[in-house]
Amino acid sequence: MENFNVDTLVIGGGIAGMQAALDLADQGFQTALVDHEPTIGGKMITLSKVFPTLDCCSCITTPKMSSVAHHPNIQLLTYCDLQSIQESDSGFRVAIVQKPRYVDAHKCTGCRKCEYECPILIPNPYDRGLGAYHAIRVPFSTAVPQTAVLDMDNCILCGKCEKVCPTQAVTFTQKPETFEVQTRTIVLASGFELTPLEAKKEYGGGLLHNVIDPLMMERFLAPTGPYGRVLRPGDGKEPTSIAYVQCAGSRDQSLGVEYCSRVCCMYAIKQAMLISGALPMAEITIYYMDIRTFGKGYEQFYQNAQAMGVEFIRGKVAAIHEDDQQNPVVKVELTEDGRVVERTHDLVVLSLGMVPSPGSAGILELPLGDDKFISVPAPNARPCHTTRPGIFVTGTAMGPMDIVDSIISASSAAAATSAYIRAHQNGQASPKPQEEAVYA
Amino acid sequence: MPEKKISNNETPSSEKVRVGVYTCHCGGNISHVVQCERVAKMLGKMPDVVIARTDPSFCSDSGQAVIEQDIKELGINRVVIGACAPSLHEQTFRNTVTRAGLNPYLYHHVGIREQDSWVHPNDPEGATDKAIRLMAAGLAKARLLTPLDPIRLKAEKHTLVIGGGVAGLRAALDIAHQGIRVTLVEKSPFLGGRMPQLESVFPTDEEARQLLNKLIQEVTAEESIKIITQAEVTGLSGYVGNYNISLTQHSRGVDGVTTEALMAACTQETPDEFNYNLTQRKVIYQPYPGCYPPTPAVDWEHYDGKPLQVNGKPFHLKDEPHNIELTVGAIVMATGFDPYEPRQGEYGYDQIPEVVTLPQLIRILSRIPKGEPLTWNGHAVRDLVLIHCVGSRELDGVNQPQADGQVNNYCSRVCCTASLHTAIDMRQRFPNLNIYELYQDIRTYGRGHEEIYRRAQNAMVRFVRYHGTELPEVLPAPAGDTHPVLVRVKDYLTRGKEIEMGVDMVVLAVGMMPRQIDDLVKMLKISRGTDRFLLEAHPKLRPVEMSVRGIVLAGTAQGPMNIQESLSAASAAAAKVAVLLGQGQVELPPFVARVDESKCNGTGACVEACREEGAIAMQTFKENGREIRRAVITPANCTGCGACVGACPNRAIDVQAWTLGQYEAMVDAITMEIPAILENVS
Ligand SMILES: Cc1cc2nc3c(=O)[nH]c(=O)nc-3n(C[C@H](O)[C@H](O)[C@H](O)COP(=O)(O)OP(=O)(O)OC[C@H]3O[C@@H](n4cnc5c(N)ncnc54)[C@H](O)[C@@H]3O)c2cc1C
Ligand SMILES: Cc1cc2nc3c(=O)[nH]c(=O)nc-3n(C[C@H](O)[C@H](O)[C@H](O)COP(=O)(O)OP(=O)(O)OC[C@H]3O[C@@H](n4cnc5c(N)ncnc54)[C@H](O)[C@@H]3O)c2cc1C
Ligand code: SF4
Repeated sequence: MENFNVDTLVIGGGIAGMQAALDLADQGFQTALVDHEPTIGGKMITLSKVFPTLDCCSCITTPKMSSVAHHPNIQLLTYCDLQSIQESDSGFRVAIVQKPRYVDAHKCTGCRKCEYECPILIPNPYDRGLGAYHAIRVPFSTAVPQTAVLDMDNCILCGKCEKVCPTQAVTFTQKPETFEVQTRTIVLASGFELTPLEAKKEYGGGLLHNVIDPLMMERFLAPTGPYGRVLRPGDGKEPTSIAYVQCAGSRDQSLGVEYCSRVCCMYAIKQAMLISGALPMAEITIYYMDIRTFGKGYEQFYQNAQAMGVEFIRGKVAAIHEDDQQNPVVKVELTEDGRVVERTHDLVVLSLGMVPSPGSAGILELPLGDDKFISVPAPNARPCHTTRPGIFVTGTAMGPMDIVDSIISASSAAAATSAYIRAHQNGQASPKPQEEAVYA
Repeated sequence: MPEKKISNNETPSSEKVRVGVYTCHCGGNISHVVQCERVAKMLGKMPDVVIARTDPSFCSDSGQAVIEQDIKELGINRVVIGACAPSLHEQTFRNTVTRAGLNPYLYHHVGIREQDSWVHPNDPEGATDKAIRLMAAGLAKARLLTPLDPIRLKAEKHTLVIGGGVAGLRAALDIAHQGIRVTLVEKSPFLGGRMPQLESVFPTDEEARQLLNKLIQEVTAEESIKIITQAEVTGLSGYVGNYNISLTQHSRGVDGVTTEALMAACTQETPDEFNYNLTQRKVIYQPYPGCYPPTPAVDWEHYDGKPLQVNGKPFHLKDEPHNIELTVGAIVMATGFDPYEPRQGEYGYDQIPEVVTLPQLIRILSRIPKGEPLTWNGHAVRDLVLIHCVGSRELDGVNQPQADGQVNNYCSRVCCTASLHTAIDMRQRFPNLNIYELYQDIRTYGRGHEEIYRRAQNAMVRFVRYHGTELPEVLPAPAGDTHPVLVRVKDYLTRGKEIEMGVDMVVLAVGMMPRQIDDLVKMLKISRGTDRFLLEAHPKLRPVEMSVRGIVLAGTAQGPMNIQESLSAASAAAAKVAVLLGQGQVELPPFVARVDESKCNGTGACVEACREEGAIAMQTFKENGREIRRAVITPANCTGCGACVGACPNRAIDVQAWTLGQYEAMVDAITMEIPAILENVS
C-alpha cells in the first residue's frame, strides 16, 4: 500500500462513519474510511428490522455500504488498525497497518470457493457465535468488500483453499503492511459494544443456558440469521414465554455504567413485536423501571406494542437463576404493589446497554467523559467537536444513540469537518469540481 | 431563468432489446410471501428476457454486482427490478446500471413489497400471481424505454433559512462556512427564538443567553449571511436550485428619533410574551437586555396607532411593509416550536392562579433576586408540584383532544430533564421548598441527563408516579386550608395509594407543539406528520430532508429536541445543502412532458389543462412561409404530472419515460391471462 493524502480520515465504518464519509465525499473531499473489521457495516448490518419504521435493516445498510465502496472520492481501508498519529503542518500523519488477510485482495473475486472447501468451522461473530463460519471466508453474503479473509489462528494449513482458488489469491505468507495517510481532519466513528452478558453476576454472569443478549435475538429474528427462527440456545426448543429485563447493564452504579443507554427500551419493544409476528402464541413480558420512548414516532410504537398484548411490568429484577429444565427464573420486585415474586420464562433477553468500543481514543489522545465515551467539551455549541482541533466525533463513539440520531450526528460532523477543511485550506487539497455543468 | 436541457431521443435505439429481470427476496420481506423463484421462472420465459434472477437482496453490493456483470457480459440493455418501493432504491439501481455503462433510464423499478407482499401476507398464491403480472407489466414497459439524460440546471449558491432560533442560526453559519450565501429571515424583530427565555440550560449549566450570544456574534460576523428580521415569506415559485422568494418586511419603526426618547415617550403596554404574558411591556420594546439586534422595535400587532408625544410634539409610528425578492437554491425550515398551551381548566390552568407552566416558572425564577425566597400570587411557596407530560403522551379516550380533534400522543423529550434541572436549581436556591415531581416515566435519556436525575434524587426532590389513564387532579383548596391548592393523585410508587396534598404552586411541564406555519406549508407544498411537526422524507435514509427536493429541516420544526439535538440537526441540514448546491448545479429527473411536433396542431388544450405556472405555452413558428401554432414545454417548470397528456386530442404530448404507449403495453400485460402470457412466448 502506497502512502497517500486525503482531506479527511474517517475511523469506523458503521452507519455513522459511512454517512459522514458519504457526506464529505459527495462534497468533493478526498476521504479515506478505515475499519478494523474485514467488512464495513458495523453493528447495524447484524440487526433484523429497525425501529421505529420496522424497515428491514439490510435494505437500509447494504446500499449505503455499496455507495461507500463505489464512491470515486472514498478510499476504503478494511481490516486495518490504526498504529500512530502525529500532528503535521497540514493536519495529521496517521500510520495504519493493513492486517494480513492471507488473500490477495486484488485477485480475490469473492466467489467463495475457498470457503466451501475449508474443513474448519468456527463460531461466527456476526451471528454472535450462534452460527458457524469457515476459517477462510467472505464474512457474510453482503459484506463489503467481497474479499475473503483467512483466520490464521484456526487454520490447519491444509491448503485446500489455495488449490481451489481460481485466481490464486490465497497467500499464506502475507505480512502486515504499514502505510501512512496524510490527512487534514479525522472523524472518529468507532461505535459501541454491548455491556458484557457476563458482567452482572446476579443475572447469571453469562452462565445460564437460556439468557441471551439482545444482539443474539437480532440474529434469531434476522432473515439472514443462522436459524431463521427464534429458539432457545440451550436446547433448540421454541420458547413460548419470553422476558426482557430492561436496564440490565445501564443505569447501574455497580457496573460503573450509570447512564441510560437510550436504545434498549426501543429495541426491546421492537423485538417483542417481531417475536409476536414470528411466534404468535408466545407471551412476552418486559420488566422495566421507566419506558423511554422519547423519539419521533416512538411513543406510538410503545402504544402499539401494548395494544398487541406485550406485557409491560414495572419492576426491578433482583436476580435470575435457572430451574432444572434450564428455564430462567426471574426474581422481581413489583413496584406497583410491592410484592417480590419469582416468574419462570423459557427465554430471557437482557437488555444490555452500550459502552464505547475500545476504539482509538488512546491513539488519538482524546480525553474521555465520566461515561468513558469521547469527551465533547461544548455539546450545546459544537456537538461533534472534540478537544483536539481537526478531530471530530460522531455516532455512538460519543454516547449511546440510535440509528436516526447516529445518521444526523454523522451529517453534522461532516458539516463541521468540511467547514474546518475549507478554513484551513492553504491552496492544496480542494474539493474537486464535478464535470462541467450542462445548461441549455 | 436557466432552462433544462433534455435529450432528444425520439426513436428507440435500433439495437435488439435484451432484458434482465431481477426479483428480489428483500431479505425475506418479499420471499416470505411471494414465490420469487416462480416469478423469475415465468418472467424468464417471456420475450426478450435474456436472464431472470433472484437474490436475497439485490440492493447489497454483491446483488448489484450480479446486475452489473449481466449488463457487461450478457449484453443486457434493459433492466427490470422487482423489489421494495421505488422511493427507497430506484436511485440505488440507477447508479448500478450507470456504473455498468447503461443509460440510467433504461431501467424500470417494480414495487412488489409495499404493493404486494406486505399487503397480501396471507395469500401467497395470489401475491405470486400479482407479482408476475406486475413484473410482466414492468417488462412490457422496459421494452419501450429509451435512453434519457437527467436535466442539469444551474443552481443558485444561496440558501434561505426560515427562522432565527438556535437551529436557524447554526444552519446559517454552517452553510456559510461551506461557501454558500445565506439569507436568514426571522419573523420577530429579534434573533434567538425560544432559547433566550431559558436561564441555565442542561446538561452543562451554561447560561442560555451567553451561549446564544456567542453564536449570534459568529453569525453576524459572517459576511455571506444576510439577516432580515420582522419579515416573512409571502411568495414562492420555482424549484430546487432556483426558488424565487418574496419576503415582506415590516418597519422597525424607531428610526429618526433617538431610541431613548421614543422608549420614554411610549406609554402603551401589552402582555410580554417573553415572560409568557406574566408581565407587561411597552409596545416599543427590547425583549431582554443584550438582545440582537439591540435596537428596539415596535410591536405593530399591539400598537394602538395613537401618536406618541416626543419633546412635546406628536410623533407618528408607521409600519411601511416592503417586499424583498431573492432567488435561492435551497430552503432550511427552522421555524421552531411553541410550548403547549393548556386549555382553560386543564389541571386548573388559567383558573387557579397558582397553576403555571414550566416555561413560565423559568421566567418567574429568573425574576427573583438571589437569596430571596420563592413567593407566588402573594404568598410564600413551601410545597410545589411539577406535573409531567402535560400536552404530551396523551391517550385517546383519556385526554381531551386538541382543536384539530387529535391528542398529542408523542413524548416531548425535553420536559423531564428540564423539570428535574429546574427542580435542582430550586432546591439549591430555596432549601426549605418541598418539590414533588408527578411523572409517568422519567426520560433522562441523553448524555449527562441520568446524572441530573440522580442529582435531583440526592437533592431530595420527591417522586410520585401516576398512570396515564389516571391523571392527577388539581383543585382549589377549601377556604381556610393551609394551602391554596389541592392535588390528588394515585401513586404507583406506593402501591397505587391515593394521596392528596396541599400545595402552594403547581407547575405544568408542558410539551412542545410546532409553530403555526400553515401558510408556509401550503406555499412550499411540504408535508407534516400526524404529530403536526414537519415530516422528513425518510427517518433513516433522509432524516433532515423533506420530500420536496431542496427543502431541509433544522431543529424543533421537525419534532421536540433539546439544544444539542437542534444544533446537530441544523448542521446536518447544512451538510445536505452543501452537497446539493456545492457544485453550483442540480440534477432533475427527465420525467417531463414532450411535444411530438409532427402531431401538434395547436389546439391549446394542453395549456388550459396545465396547472403549473410557465410549464407550457403556445408559440407561433414560421415554417415554409406558413404560420404554425405549437405547444412548447419549459422543462424546468414542468412537474411531469401528465394533465396535458390527457387533454391533447391528437396524442401529441407524452411524459418522457411514462408515455401513453408504455402505459398501454403495461395494461395489456397486466390484464393478460397468465397462461396467455406464456403462450405468447413460443
Ligand atoms: C440489540 C440492538 C438493537 C438495535 N436496534 C436498533 C433499531 O431497531 N433501530 C435503531 O435506530 N437503532 C438500533 N440499535 C442501535 C444501533 O445499533 C446503533 O445506533 C448504530 O449501530 C450505531 O452505529 P455507529 O456507526 O455509531 O457504531 P457501530 O455500528 O458500532 O460502528 C462502529 C464501526 O467502527 C469500527 N471500529 C471500532 N473501533 C475501531 C478502530 N479502533 N479502528 C477502526 N475501526 C473501528 C467497527 O468495526 C464498526 O464497523 C440497536 C442496538 C442494539 C444493541
Ligand atoms: C421549558 C423548556 C426548557 C428547556 N430547557 C432546555 C435546556 O435546559 N437545555 C436544552 O438543551 N434545551 C432546552 N429546551 C429546548 C430548547 O428550548 C429548544 O431545543 C430550542 O430552543 C429549539 O430551537 P429552534 O431554533 O428549533 O426553535 P425556536 O427557538 O422556536 O426558534 C424558531 C424561530 O423561528 C421563527 N419563526 C417561526 N415561524 C417563522 C416564520 N414563518 N417565518 C420566519 N421566522 C419564523 C421564530 O420567531 C423563532 O425565532 C427547553 C425547552 C423548554 C420548553
Ligand atoms: S420528556 Fe418526560 S415529561 Fe416530557 S413528555 Fe416525555 S415523559 Fe413526559
